[in-house]
Formats: sequence, structure tokens, C-alpha cells
Amino acid sequence: MPKHKPKRGNPTIDMTAMCDVSFLLLTFFMLTAKMKPAETVVIDTPSSISETKLPDVGTFTIMIAPDGRTFVDMAGQHTRKLLIDNLNDRHRMGLTEEEKFKFSISGSFGVPFNRLKQWINLDNASRDKISTGIPIDTLDVNKSELAEWIHNARLAQFQMKQEGKVKDEYVMVLKADKETPYPAVQKVINTLVDINVNKFNLITNMEADPNKVEAKK
Amino acid sequence: MAEMQVADKGGKKGGKKRAKKMSTRVDLTPMVDLAFLLITFFMLTTTLAKPQIMALVMPEKDVKKEDVEPVKESKVLTLLLGANDKVYWYEGITDAKLDSTGYGAEGLRKVILDKMEKVRQQFGMEDYEDFKTKEPRKGSFLNVIIKPTEEARYKNLVDALDEMAICKVRYYVILDVSDLEKDFIKNPAAGLKFDVEEQIQAATGGK
Repeated sequence: MPKHKPKRGNPTIDMTAMCDVSFLLLTFFMLTAKMKPAETVVIDTPSSISETKLPDVGTFTIMIAPDGRTFVDMAGQHTRKLLIDNLNDRHRMGLTEEEKFKFSISGSFGVPFNRLKQWINLDNASRDKISTGIPIDTLDVNKSELAEWIHNARLAQFQMKQEGKVKDEYVMVLKADKETPYPAVQKVINTLVDINVNKFNLITNMEADPNKVEAKK
Repeated sequence: MAEMQVADKGGKKGGKKRAKKMSTRVDLTPMVDLAFLLITFFMLTTTLAKPQIMALVMPEKDVKKEDVEPVKESKVLTLLLGANDKVYWYEGITDAKLDSTGYGAEGLRKVILDKMEKVRQQFGMEDYEDFKTKEPRKGSFLNVIIKPTEEARYKNLVDALDEMAICKVRYYVILDVSDLEKDFIKNPAAGLKFDVEEQIQAATGGK
């Protein structure tokens, strides 16, 4: 029998189709991308059966780390700019225009007012070291820095809404770690209630609803 | 690789100009490589799944005394969220017996459903209209008071709220734990000496 010689095929594969697909996907991901904000602390949220998704509007997030430190984050560059303008005047933080801009594009933070200038000028790695959390005064809400941030951020967002730059007012979101001791959460909740924010949302992970699981069986 | 052969212009006099067939193949492999690299980057950096949220409504701070509506104590179940994932619970306030359980289907859920059944036998079911669909529904009259103690973790609170959603408890509230209840956990045998007037006082801040 003659030796069967395999035919030498053309080793080039037409990459056009693959290229098309990959660029399509790339375009999709680029357009839907919402960059993860730089997070100073990792927060592992507890799970619940709630299926409500976080609405696609501006959020004001209060984060509570397992050690009880409180961080805040708010959406919207314009709002942040207005907010820092207002607070800079009130607390004489002495921020320059450049520093204000830097603040308006950064993510969550957890420093007292008098440390904010220093915080803005640090890089991400060193910011964590001076982040002692936003001070909360449980006795006098007028002295509580957290209350002041929330109150002024909501005012700023409201003003932006009046000017037509944003559509919605802030949705208040509370994001705490599983292991956060309750007193730390309680302080934040009490602050919110004190400034008449009685309705807010807790961020949770998804968990199977036992009612639905049983229904399937 | 991505070469293009430019054909010589075959300049024959009088001859028809015929474009010589040239290879138009461009090797797309590096381009695909790059595209996939970028896809990977964007996939990893996007937050595709939006987080779930659980709405929570807290009672207002200043409750006036005339707005306080007393609830029959047999409809009330109080949960004290304690240390080490333990829930202490008692029914009503008169001769309250403290018991403890864990979170989950066999623990807290059973307690709530049992109490619901008791309330149903005594008071029946409440008719209400679904908030969204306006359909008539039947719900329990059960009132649950959630009081996390200082030793509780945030997870415990969310778990307790989750049970409210699973068992479809319509009336629940988060309140601060009182000193009386702290003593009650330490010494259940001594019993709970709640005074109704004191309770109203505490809830309204004496207003």
C-alpha cells in the first residue's frame, strides 16, 4: 500500500470573522463600561433575597467598613464640584481650583474636613493611611460631619436638578460589611433619621428566595 | 505577514492595462489578539451586574403621643439580635418568656411563622390592597420589633430583615434595645418589667 501522505493544507485561517466578532464585543464592553471606582476599603456585603436592582440614578453611598470607619461617595462630577465649593468656603479648607477638580473626579473618601486637603493631594495608596473615617457626632447632629456631607450633597444635587444638569435627586444607599458591628451601623442610621432621611437602601448580594425555590420543587 | 505585493506595472505598449492580481490578505491575528486583550480588560473592569438593594424605611424621629396607636401585645413579637448569631425573642410584654434561636429556616423563620399562625388563629387575616397591582391580598396582623443589641453584626440585621421579606411580615420596625431588655437577656428568669406608659415615653421621647 502506498503511504498515505497527508495533504498539506493551507495553514492560514481567515481571521476576518473573528476580528469582526471581537471588535463587536469590544465596542459593547467599552460602551457599557462603568469603571469601578477606586475603593479604599473592601466591603463584603451580606446577602438577601431582594431582587430590586440599584436604580440607574445618582446615588449617595455611605460605606461602613468592618472596623467601623465610615466612607462616603457621591455620583456626579458637577454636584461634587458644587458641594466642595460650598464646603470649602464654610470650613475654610483652603482648596485651590485644581484640588477641587481633583476631588470632583475622585471616588469614595473617609477623612475629616481638616484632613481633606491633605487627602486630595495624596496618591491612592497613601490615601488609605489617613482615612480615619468621617466623624459622626451622635449627640449633636449639627456637629456631625457625616450629616453635613449628606445634607449639603443633597442640596447640591437638588440645585443641579433645578439647573437641569441631572435628572434625579440622590438615592441614599448604605453599604456595610457583614462583620460591621451594629453600633457603627446604628450611628449612621440615627444620623440619617436625624436629618429626616427615613428611607434608604441597603446594598446586598443575591440569595435564593426560599419561597421560590420551594415553588419550583 | 501583512505584506502587500505591489505588482509591477506591466507597461506593454498597446496592451490592455490589466491589474495583476495581488494578494490582499492581511494577517489579522495581531489585531484579534489586541481586540481580545481589550475585551478582557473591559470585561474585568466593568461592573455589569448592578448590586441588589433592600429598601428600608425607618420610623420618624419625632413621634407625637397622639399619633401613637397601641397594638395588642398578642400580635407583637420582639426579636433581640444578640452576639454570636443568636436571636433572642419573646412574645408580647406581659409574662414574656425569653427564648433564643439561630438564623435560618429552622430557627428564626420557624419562630416567625409559628407566631404568625397563632396571630391568624386569634385575629384572622387582614385584607389589604397590593401596592402595585391593586389586587386584594391577605396579610398577617403580626407586628415584629427588631432590636439589634450592641453585640450584633450588620449581617444579623440584614438576615432579620430578610426573614421579614421571606415570611411576608407587613409590620416591622427597627428600634434601639432598652436597658430592661439587656438585663432580660442576662437574666431571663427575672422576667421583663415593661411598663406600657414607659414604652410610649421611650418611643416618643416624652413629647
